Amino acid sequence: MSNQKKRNFQIEAFKHRVVVDPKYADKTWQILERAIHQIYNQDASGLSFEELYRNAYNMVLHKFGEKLYTGFIATMTSHLKEKSKLIEAAQGGSFLEELNKKWNEHNKALEMIRDILMYMDRTYIESTKKTHVHPMGLNLWRDNVVHFTKIHTRLLNTLLDLVQKERTGEVIDRGLMRNVIKMFMDLGESVYQEDFEKPFLDASSEFYKVESQEFIESCDCGDYLKKAEKRLTEEIERVAHYLDAKSEEKITSVVEKEMIANHMQRLVHMENSGLVNMLLNDKYDDLGRMYNLFRRVTNGLVTVRDVMTSHLREMGKQLVTDPEKSKDPVEFVQRLLDERDKYDKIISTAFGNDKTFQNALNSSFEYFINLNARSPEFISLFVDDKLRKGLKGIADVDVEVILDKVMMLFRYLQEKDVFEKYYKQHLAKRLLSGKTVSDEAERSLIVKLKTECGYQFTSKLEGMFTDMKTSEDTMRGFYGSHPELSEGPTLIVQVLTTGSWPTQPAVPCNLPAEVSVLCEKFRSYYLGTHTGRRLSWQTNMGTADIKAIFGKGQKHELNVSTFQMCVLMLFNNSDRLSYKEIEQATEIPAADLKRCLQSLACVKGKNVIKKEPMSKDIGEEDSFVVNDKFTSKFYKVKIGTVVAQKETEPEKQETRQRVEEDRKPQIEAAIVRIMKSRKILDHNNIIAEVTKQLQPRFLANPTEIKKRIESLIERDFLERDSTDRKLYRYLA
Amino acid sequence: MGFSKDRIKFNVGGRIFETTATTLANAGRDSFFGALFDDEWNLSPQDSIHFVDRNSDCFAVLLDLLRTGDLNVPANIPERLLHREASFYGLLDHVRTAKWGPFDGNRLRLSDSVKGIAPGDGTAIRAGPDGGCCVAHGSVVHVFDWMLEEHSPINLDYQRVNDVGWVDSDNIVLSACERLGRGEGGMGLFSSSSGDLRYKFQVCHENQVKSYTAGALSFSPDYEIFASCKGRSNEYGIGVWDQITGKQTDFFYESPGWSLGDADKLQWLNGKNCLLVATLFPRKDNCYISLLDFRDKNMVWSWSDIGSPMAIDEKRVRDAIAMEDSNSICVVNEFEDLGFIDLRMYGGSVRWSSRSKLMKSKMPDEPCYPKLALHEGQLFSSMNDSISVFCGPDWVLTSRLRRSYGGSICDFSIGGDRLFALHSEENVFDVWETPPCPII
Repeated sequence: MSNQKKRNFQIEAFKHRVVVDPKYADKTWQILERAIHQIYNQDASGLSFEELYRNAYNMVLHKFGEKLYTGFIATMTSHLKEKSKLIEAAQGGSFLEELNKKWNEHNKALEMIRDILMYMDRTYIESTKKTHVHPMGLNLWRDNVVHFTKIHTRLLNTLLDLVQKERTGEVIDRGLMRNVIKMFMDLGESVYQEDFEKPFLDASSEFYKVESQEFIESCDCGDYLKKAEKRLTEEIERVAHYLDAKSEEKITSVVEKEMIANHMQRLVHMENSGLVNMLLNDKYDDLGRMYNLFRRVTNGLVTVRDVMTSHLREMGKQLVTDPEKSKDPVEFVQRLLDERDKYDKIISTAFGNDKTFQNALNSSFEYFINLNARSPEFISLFVDDKLRKGLKGIADVDVEVILDKVMMLFRYLQEKDVFEKYYKQHLAKRLLSGKTVSDEAERSLIVKLKTECGYQFTSKLEGMFTDMKTSEDTMRGFYGSHPELSEGPTLIVQVLTTGSWPTQPAVPCNLPAEVSVLCEKFRSYYLGTHTGRRLSWQTNMGTADIKAIFGKGQKHELNVSTFQMCVLMLFNNSDRLSYKEIEQATEIPAADLKRCLQSLACVKGKNVIKKEPMSKDIGEEDSFVVNDKFTSKFYKVKIGTVVAQKETEPEKQETRQRVEEDRKPQIEAAIVRIMKSRKILDHNNIIAEVTKQLQPRFLANPTEIKKRIESLIERDFLERDSTDRKLYRYLA
Repeated sequence: MGFSKDRIKFNVGGRIFETTATTLANAGRDSFFGALFDDEWNLSPQDSIHFVDRNSDCFAVLLDLLRTGDLNVPANIPERLLHREASFYGLLDHVRTAKWGPFDGNRLRLSDSVKGIAPGDGTAIRAGPDGGCCVAHGSVVHVFDWMLEEHSPINLDYQRVNDVGWVDSDNIVLSACERLGRGEGGMGLFSSSSGDLRYKFQVCHENQVKSYTAGALSFSPDYEIFASCKGRSNEYGIGVWDQITGKQTDFFYESPGWSLGDADKLQWLNGKNCLLVATLFPRKDNCYISLLDFRDKNMVWSWSDIGSPMAIDEKRVRDAIAMEDSNSICVVNEFEDLGFIDLRMYGGSVRWSSRSKLMKSKMPDEPCYPKLALHEGQLFSSMNDSISVFCGPDWVLTSRLRRSYGGSICDFSIGGDRLFALHSEENVFDVWETPPCPII
């Protein structure tokens, strides 16, 4: 390439860019600079937007973008330096106001300047990757005003002072606060965080550290919680009023840490006002407050729950092991129900129905109810009491409620089979004596037990109900086929299926002739309609209504047991009978006879016969006469009612033994079931699986399981492995 | 606000226009009109006329654009003038959106042809996100904005450019050949408006920076850049960089007997979270297609024609593209036969759908191999001087784009609702657009 050509090239380049007026750029910039001054001095009304926009456009078009950009920054910087001096000069309270005022002015001016420089913003700045006009304006404000040494710390201290004042109850100008803090937010998240939020949180932490210490020394737990709650809502309100919403989480965690987390243990265990006190006195508000505050911190609820659980267990243990309190079973159960209601209410009203608290409540009850071995009996007795009389005049819905509560307790029981045993006894007595108040309630409870424990658990109980129903039909059929029997005594027979009922083999007594004739007729009728059955009389369980006329002609209807009837009927034929004579005539077992005579002769107001000699106990040498002087206000007199009673110690032992006896086949069945599917299993696993399988009914005793295994080995169901003695094999 | 108060009069370069504030509000706040009517500039009373020192013909066109959303440019107004005026008012984006409609392969019209300057074959053409494009040939990349005005070219000083890609409308990534002993080459990030180098991507192997040759490029929506890399020792494979930090984040080393570093085509599959890598004939004697999962450094799928009978040499795969919706990879041979490979089977075979044996007879002197592209369920394939569009589940040919001059198409690209086709002769590229939506 020759030199000549090169020169030509240069000349062409010169021709390319011709600027008419060499001072064009300066002149145009001066116009714009003057406009920026006017805008800052709030004297913009005379400005023509079109002219300014066109001038800025032309500068960029003619490649003076750089000049325009640096010029705008320099002009704005000088203005802001001036402003910061004015702000700094403001005294006392007017400092923030001045700052806010200048900030608003700057924003307005920035907006207008951006409008003028819009073309530069879009083209020159875009392609050179410089900072756009608006963020640049904010940066300049940040660097020249907010970070100006004479403003920076003063601004922060002023703001923190105001917050402190508000915390101590003074009223401050929240609007101004909001505007100034909004300025920090507008300047960018990092400015807000570094220049305000972080120091604010530090100051708050310090404040609450001191205050919480003060409170905890001087307040009881309830008051402290109230104050903490108040502080928390205040801080949340503060955020809503004049802070960035993102600060809420941070400031609340400061309050939570300083006021709750750091004092958690001390609060819960505070003497005379801590958690236990609140629970004892049903302080729902305080408990609710504690729950809501403690749930905000880690391990808060765990702490509350643990204290509640240990209190519940302690309280429950005392309740069930106190011999005084277990004297009356009905009251005992009622007390348990009351405690449960109390805590249910606490959990639902104060603890927001928290599942973990409900679980803690359940496990506590399960723990202490089973501490008392008589709990199953007592619960059954409670039901018995309710179903006998307690439910009279109560609406169906409420009956259900009571039954549901009982079921709740039932669920806690480990020895459900013991309960079943007692329940069966009590139910039999209720059914036979016709004492049950509501058939519906009885059936409803059975359904509940069925859903809880399955078909097997209740099949016998249901059988009892069926027997009652069938007996009614049988009686109707009996009298229908013997119309001649409408005269004379009426016999009502309840045919009970052996096995469904808790009957003991009993020696029947000698019935009076009138009755035994009827009995024979019934036997032949029943066996005539049902072949292959055997009837045996349970005279120990029956009752009778007999009419009696005493000395002065007083007529009474006496409601007595079958045994008592037999005794009384003897007096139709003789005035005086000795114990021996009665025993011979009736053949009632001695123990029963004694009890029967006692209730006829020794109970005041019901002594239809007299005993000689007069004494409390029945002796074998005693003799008896009809008490002609017997009087009673009532026509009907009930004698020797057999009321379900708490069992005596020997009875209890007996029941216990029967339960143990009943468990044996169940344990064996479980072992066989498990071994049948597993074929080979070691001892520990077998124990574990059997226990698990039987859990819904009772807690199997490992030694008993071991005994059962031995027994099964003896009977060749299982064998020990020849090499490993711990292994059992199933023998098909 | 009454009806009359809404009215506004302008005197634009001596001509009076009357319009309403409502119409002007369509320009948006970030425009001349938006600023003009902002409260801060307390505008003089409503009845006065606002003077604007601009071209009145263009103002008329732009005012109609604000009124209707349609752009109608009379023949007497040069496009550049209109763009200049739109830029003054801050309405360039309005003009661009009005100029062409949403992309539909079956409704494309040729809108422009831009004649290249550089001699020789073009390497690649890539559509930018907002309607611009860039063309690479040799060591130069020409950059065009959506108005098809050329910006400063990117000049690599004799290094050959292998591939180009748009990171965003302002940034272009180039991959280039290594120059032996100079430590140059590799990948760089360039400004699309000024052509300046902004950043160089580096490859590290065992904590040492290596010089390398970068090949095909691909981008994921998670701001990752993938490139096939060839170094001189072990650094063969696929490199991964973070678009934001520019740092290398991963490297998938080539396994013996399998080619990754020479790949012709990379494609990021978003649904599968995998990268498709295809190395094809004639760069290698065999074709290798694989899917890489970078999370556990695993080749999750692969296919190769190694060992298949060479007698059917017309069935050499020349380009491949994964179609995630139909779980298959579409391939094409030099006669524009499409083939499909099932992605759900490992080591499946190509199911060719032979369409055009006719082509064999009239091959042009300087053939260009077919290329494939996929856009919203439409498959595009270039062959000689035309581009075929296939649609539907069976990929039926529905349209064909053809331009008589310029020779065979050596590359094409779809983006910014436009299709750019680069022809091998004279370096001309055609711009295809979908017309704006019909009036009714």
